[in-house]
Amino acid sequence: MSLRAPPHNRLPLDMSRLSDACSLRLALSFEPRKLISAPIPLPLVEVQFEAEGIATLWVQVPNSMATQYRPGQYFMCWNPYDSTGGMSRPHFHSEKPYSVGDIRVGHSHAHQLVEAETGRQGRDFLGFTIKDLGRQSGELTRLSVGDWLAIRGPFGTAFPQMNAGERLVLVSGGIGSTPMHMAAREARHRLGDDVRIEAIMGFRNAEESHYVSRMESICDSLRITTDDGSLGTQGFPTALLPELLGNYHDGRTVLLTCGPEPMMLPVLQMAVDSAIKCYAAMERYLPCSMAVCGLCMVGDRLICKDGPVMDGDWLLQQDDFGSSHGHWAAVG
Amino acid sequence: MPDLSVGLPGLVMHNPLMLASGVQGGSARALQRVAASDAGGMVTKSIGPVPREMYPGPVCVEAMDSVVLNAMGLPNPGADVFAEILSNENFSKPLLVSIFGGCAEEYVEVAKKLDDAGASAFELNLSCPHSKPGSRALIIGQQAKSIHDVVSAVRDAVDAPLYAKLTPNTTDITIEAKAALEAGADGLSLINTVSAIEVDPYAGRPVIGNLLCGLSGPAIRPIAQRKVAEIALSMRRGEIPSAPILGIGGINTGLDVARFVMLGASAVQIGSALIWGDVEKFKEISVELSEFMDLNGYRDISSMQGIALDSLEGLS
Repeated sequence: MSLRAPPHNRLPLDMSRLSDACSLRLALSFEPRKLISAPIPLPLVEVQFEAEGIATLWVQVPNSMATQYRPGQYFMCWNPYDSTGGMSRPHFHSEKPYSVGDIRVGHSHAHQLVEAETGRQGRDFLGFTIKDLGRQSGELTRLSVGDWLAIRGPFGTAFPQMNAGERLVLVSGGIGSTPMHMAAREARHRLGDDVRIEAIMGFRNAEESHYVSRMESICDSLRITTDDGSLGTQGFPTALLPELLGNYHDGRTVLLTCGPEPMMLPVLQMAVDSAIKCYAAMERYLPCSMAVCGLCMVGDRLICKDGPVMDGDWLLQQDDFGSSHGHWAAVG
Repeated sequence: MPDLSVGLPGLVMHNPLMLASGVQGGSARALQRVAASDAGGMVTKSIGPVPREMYPGPVCVEAMDSVVLNAMGLPNPGADVFAEILSNENFSKPLLVSIFGGCAEEYVEVAKKLDDAGASAFELNLSCPHSKPGSRALIIGQQAKSIHDVVSAVRDAVDAPLYAKLTPNTTDITIEAKAALEAGADGLSLINTVSAIEVDPYAGRPVIGNLLCGLSGPAIRPIAQRKVAEIALSMRRGEIPSAPILGIGGINTGLDVARFVMLGASAVQIGSALIWGDVEKFKEISVELSEFMDLNGYRDISSMQGIALDSLEGLS
């Protein structure tokens, strides 16, 4: 069985009208429960190069969705026309969880007219920053403007909101940069200068570094580490963390982290040792997002529903945290 | 307070609410998590002869309110790994081990392995295609003869109680029920999902990765109730052997449980509802059921079992 994209002997598409129509469809589906529970395809309005093998896919969404998305939550993303027609198996999962990396708020004249006529608000854009880590993510990074990306969500838990006067410490590894960026953005947007944001971003090397300028413009301080020393300090983010945490034992610091579990484990341990509240955004093999398949467990919790943002103190007590798994033998 | 307990072959439960097969129950961790909830019993994910990966996604979506579509593809760790789980773990709740195969011999192979590992009761998932060449068009559960072959082969191989899980995608479900019971099944589970397909008009393709899917959730509850009623009536009339029925299909509230029981079910299984409430659903539903029974003077499950069938007696 093979699956092909719709025939191209159709009339040329008006991308802006199509995008608006899809956004409206999204709004109607989102409204009742603030959740899209079946994938809705959206045409990509922009594909932004971030680094080698890393691209940001931009889709238009209704304002209600962009404003209600909370950093840490994830969407299931699916390319209905991946090269295998979605039918290759096994070991190929054509729908996977991604967190939003960036949001743009737009107000075009055309959309204001639509707003006036329909009473519906906003022409906003969600950016999913995706790194080529396998067949599914690889195909997503190679999509072009006008290709479909089907999304559903937002699912799962979010990072706790910061309070005025607090300090936010963000530690990311690789593509874990994206939820960290959204967390920084939300804190700055809500609290302005009443929050101090300090970040450490870890990458393998300079070539795959991304989101650095985005983070620089938001954070009060930004440190970068690379495994090979080609950018910033050579080593892992954990090398710079003690210095950052050392001065603060005031109970007003919150640490958030996202990255590979072997990196997050010592990061959370350092935070807990310094009596600092900490949370991790978890990623595991997560096929259904609906608490149905039961494969995304850590401890006795489901990452799809009880996560992906989980309490660091609790995570450190779980024997299966710190090394990824996702296969039957390991789950059993 | 009303007594919610039920005692069925292989299933002595403090309430009639079981975890349905296919939801969460594929690993020791997941099953222990359900066992710690208020569920009365649990059915495992269907276990086959060898490990199977999941179909490509989307594997499960809620297409509209109360309409759940899935095509997971019977992902499971395989009989050998699951046998290890059974021998190593103690579950505080009765466990029905769901098994499947492509032919009678495969069902027997899986049943024997898991029986040796301590499985106390089995549910035979009959909704899988034949693996033998030339017979793939139909699933086993759509042919009375295949049902008979599978159930009697497993019956001969193991002593544990057997529940045959029936598909609703047939003309007259009493025919399949009769075949299963006459072949030695101790009880029936029904229904499995209703065969379905959904297309996204913008993408111009089905929304499920596997293209074809099964429909579950509250949308199918009246269909499931009808199937339970047809079989229960047939049992009452003596047309087919009498046996306990585990009602399945869109149960989401305590009242839904009462509906199935009043149509003849002895216990029920709950699956899709966990999407909206996770394992806490079992507590919620049992409290609702208990309050309903209390309010209406039903002292136990058997006092309301089948009472709605009385009005259907005259139907031919």
